Amino acid sequence: MYRTKIFDHVILMFGVFIMVAPVVVAFMTSTHEAADIHRNGLSLTWGGHFVETYQTVLTREGGFTGKITGFNMMLNSMILGLGFAVGKIVLSMLAAYALVYFRFPLATFFFWVIFTTLLLPLEVRILPSYEVMNTLKLTNTYTGLIVPLLASATGTFYFRQFFKSVPDELLEAARIDGAGPFKFFIDVLVPLSRTMMAAIFIIMFVYGWNQYLWPTLMTTDEGFFTLVRGIKQILLVWVGSNIPDYNEAFALAILAMLPPVMIVVIFQRWFIKGLTESDK
Amino acid sequence: MSTATDLLPAARGGTGTKTGGRRFGAFRLFGGQSSGGESAAKRVQFSSPFLPYLFLAPQLAIIFIFFYWPSVQAIQSSFYLEDPFGFGSTFVGMTNYTDVLKSGEYLGIARFTAVFTALVTFFALSIGLLLAVKADGVIRGNAAYRTLLIWVYAIAPPVAGLIGMMFFDQHIGPIVELARWFGWDIKVGLNYFDTAFSMVVVSVWKQIPYNFIFFLSGLQGIPVSVREAAAIDCRSGFRRFWTVILPLLAPTAFFLLIINVTYALFDTFGVIDVMVKDKAANNPITLVYKVYMDGFRGNDLGGSSAQSVILMLIVFVLTIFQFRFIERRVHYN
Amino acid sequence: MFKKFSLAALTIAFSATSSFAATNITWWHGMAGRNGEVINEVSKKFNEAQSACALTPVSKGTYEEALASGIAAFRSGEQPNILQVFDAGAATIINAKGAVIPAEDLIIKAGHNFDRNAFIDGVRYFYADSEGKFVGMPFNSSAPIMYINDEALKKAGVEAPKTWEEFEAAAPKLKEAGYIPLVQSQLTWQFTENFFSRNNIQFATNNNGYDAVVDTQLKVTDPNLIMMFDKLKAWKDEGYFAFYGAGWNDNQKVFEEGKAAFWIGSSGSFGGLQKTAQMPFSATFLPYWGSIKGAGTNSFIGGAALFAMSGKSDEENKCVADFFQFLTSPEIQYFYHKATGYVAITKAAYELAQKDGYYKEKPVAEVGIKQLMLPAGDWSKGYRLGFYPQIREIMEREYGRIFSGETTVKDAFDTIEKEGNELLARFAKTAG
Repeated sequence: MYRTKIFDHVILMFGVFIMVAPVVVAFMTSTHEAADIHRNGLSLTWGGHFVETYQTVLTREGGFTGKITGFNMMLNSMILGLGFAVGKIVLSMLAAYALVYFRFPLATFFFWVIFTTLLLPLEVRILPSYEVMNTLKLTNTYTGLIVPLLASATGTFYFRQFFKSVPDELLEAARIDGAGPFKFFIDVLVPLSRTMMAAIFIIMFVYGWNQYLWPTLMTTDEGFFTLVRGIKQILLVWVGSNIPDYNEAFALAILAMLPPVMIVVIFQRWFIKGLTESDK
Repeated sequence: MSTATDLLPAARGGTGTKTGGRRFGAFRLFGGQSSGGESAAKRVQFSSPFLPYLFLAPQLAIIFIFFYWPSVQAIQSSFYLEDPFGFGSTFVGMTNYTDVLKSGEYLGIARFTAVFTALVTFFALSIGLLLAVKADGVIRGNAAYRTLLIWVYAIAPPVAGLIGMMFFDQHIGPIVELARWFGWDIKVGLNYFDTAFSMVVVSVWKQIPYNFIFFLSGLQGIPVSVREAAAIDCRSGFRRFWTVILPLLAPTAFFLLIINVTYALFDTFGVIDVMVKDKAANNPITLVYKVYMDGFRGNDLGGSSAQSVILMLIVFVLTIFQFRFIERRVHYN
Repeated sequence: MFKKFSLAALTIAFSATSSFAATNITWWHGMAGRNGEVINEVSKKFNEAQSACALTPVSKGTYEEALASGIAAFRSGEQPNILQVFDAGAATIINAKGAVIPAEDLIIKAGHNFDRNAFIDGVRYFYADSEGKFVGMPFNSSAPIMYINDEALKKAGVEAPKTWEEFEAAAPKLKEAGYIPLVQSQLTWQFTENFFSRNNIQFATNNNGYDAVVDTQLKVTDPNLIMMFDKLKAWKDEGYFAFYGAGWNDNQKVFEEGKAAFWIGSSGSFGGLQKTAQMPFSATFLPYWGSIKGAGTNSFIGGAALFAMSGKSDEENKCVADFFQFLTSPEIQYFYHKATGYVAITKAAYELAQKDGYYKEKPVAEVGIKQLMLPAGDWSKGYRLGFYPQIREIMEREYGRIFSGETTVKDAFDTIEKEGNELLARFAKTAG
């Protein structure tokens, strides 16, 4: 490998600064009091209310039923994030495998059928989607929360791009060894796609984790509250008597970042070079 | 453009490195081979009477139920003027479309959307790529950089918006105070250009980690042997990047290009909503925000559905253009 | 273990039977934060006060999200019993004949008395039909009032103005004393809709839209309204008025920091101001023009009302009626008034608050109610306009352009009238 230059580090440091500074600021701000944040905005100093604010958001039983606790919201976000990410990877890998590695009539047509879903995001078709969910009696269920979000092409498109860049020789070699489509997929393609799967997993987990509008529309039971919805609930204070509890919103935001960070850390090793013995 | 490996005699026959032959000629999007193989990317393919359909089935089922069914309804309502509660609707043919396209305001929004999309896509991609290449190059601290650059991606959109808004606050925003040093008085929410600037900055900021992750995973997928060969072949880092690394990243870059365009068109909605503080007024907004304002807030189903369809057509044309003119330059293997 | 389990099963079975008798009703609202918590408290109070009905409130995000959710649910037959709808969305739901049961009918049918006169004047008409029958139940009501920086007045040696003429006289002194004389937070609500009501001028044809949907047209090219905005523009150029865009908070902040003398805000803003204002403040009515004949009438309510959705069983409707009755009881009204800063909507609740000495303690809390109780005029009761959220957006856009110098006041109102009337015509077709 070639030597790293100081200059590269400078660029990276600057990148990290640009990306991380706002988060640090959010954390520092969360230790101040709400009125103070409203008056003075963001803060780089320690506000000293760390313990009480975080204790409040974690343990307070909110809502009408008392079911809205920090822990419960976290669990719901987790289910949404994991369900969405796993579902997305399984569906899109299978579909992309069919599109790239099989010769069959109508393949192009199917590709476009799937691809078209990028053209109309859920937000734009949200009311008819909600009617469909009501028809299927899926409101207030995790299925209803997760499955409609899976109806988009991003994952399939990405794996298609990736599979296309996998050398043909691998398949030739596998076929000489007498591997069938299943064996090739499991033994060759999946190990080869690890980095890609990790990338997709992180992106999709966060996407599911951060959903707001759809869960709000789909659920009427406070037991389905997610963290992001909790954050929005705090910030949506109407013009009038109160200022939002910014400190709690920021504290929830910081808490909401922890699980995705864990995911990133766990998948780190998938990103590490040299693990793949099957060099492309 | 030649494939990387052609430049690398050292890599030929090197252990485990396979070189795809050069494939001239673009893959053709429509028509193409009569056998119907999708874009015929692979020289070798399985053929099976039912397996591919089996693999496609779950994805297609979900798409048909949860995408096409509601979408067809959305398209249908674009030809009607209806009371939102569903009591009465009048068939008005193309009126919703002509109303929209006649409006000077709509065309202004379309113009802004085009500029905004171009800027956000360009900056988010190039910064993401720059950071990924640098992070891929360093050995020491590699993991730390990676973690720090990726985990920011996890910040929830309402919070990202809130932070962005506070940074650009007219009275106490740090960025505003910084700009005053340079004699630029930023007034987000008041001045069209300033608001547009802040929207681009926050939108780019939110998208950088996404591009970083995919570029990095693409880079990490490049075999060590190829890199070593490239390092021997081209002394200059810049040339090496340009002639070897970039072509190998092309499929990823093409995917990201499409994703970033759709991001800038659709997913920046949350950022815009926060930056205009819930009130568009005379601030710049994008087409999708207009759809939301008219449909979700204004309860004008017909008008907003017509706008959705127009938006769909725009993206469709754009996508076809990207596939025809850009993907043909992308080399797979 | 087993014993424990059976005990738990027993209690579950028991509690199920005890609540089995109660009729469940749901209430979708668009409030969050502290106001959302107060809604939960009010619901709990209702459930504790009686045993026949069990009310569950559900937060559906913002006002707009709540309305859109309610509409979507109605279309697939899953609507809640009660939906909270904000002022600008009122025409959407009231004009959808058959979507709601008028609150007054519902309450009378359930065997309660209903006295329109029990409500204060500024509240009575906005959510009612043209005969004055209550369609929606006014719930959280606010009025645009003028907050005063007491220090600024002292320093400049001026009195709080009742009319805009008095403001014009005081503005130079305030500016000299180093203050921004005037800021405001919502030009549509405070300087357009309530300009018409405070100065008793017609806002739209067909009795401000109350009488019919077809052929309703805006009258925003009224010379008085144009005069008001010409003045605002001139004041801004002279430094008597500052404008920070359409964001509510950007404009409020200069007042909180003590840099502005007067701020037009909401009657409910004082709770937040007490925490954030860095100087003593008081409040008075929204000014009007002394030169306009018949001006000085009451303003009408902002905020939101509760609507009883149709298509529900008689038992459930009876519960909704009981709840509406419960809400208007003086004790609950007073509790809500104190907890949120929204005004009390019945005379009885207002009197209760007076008796309790609440206004001695917080005089600012009374200003909004008093303004709503001023004598009414022909045009002070509000408006009933379809697609109004979008019309507001057009106004906001044009107002922004006025102050950034992209258009003249006259042209701006011509545009608002033209585009607004196109929307009204489209709305009339949706009812087709």
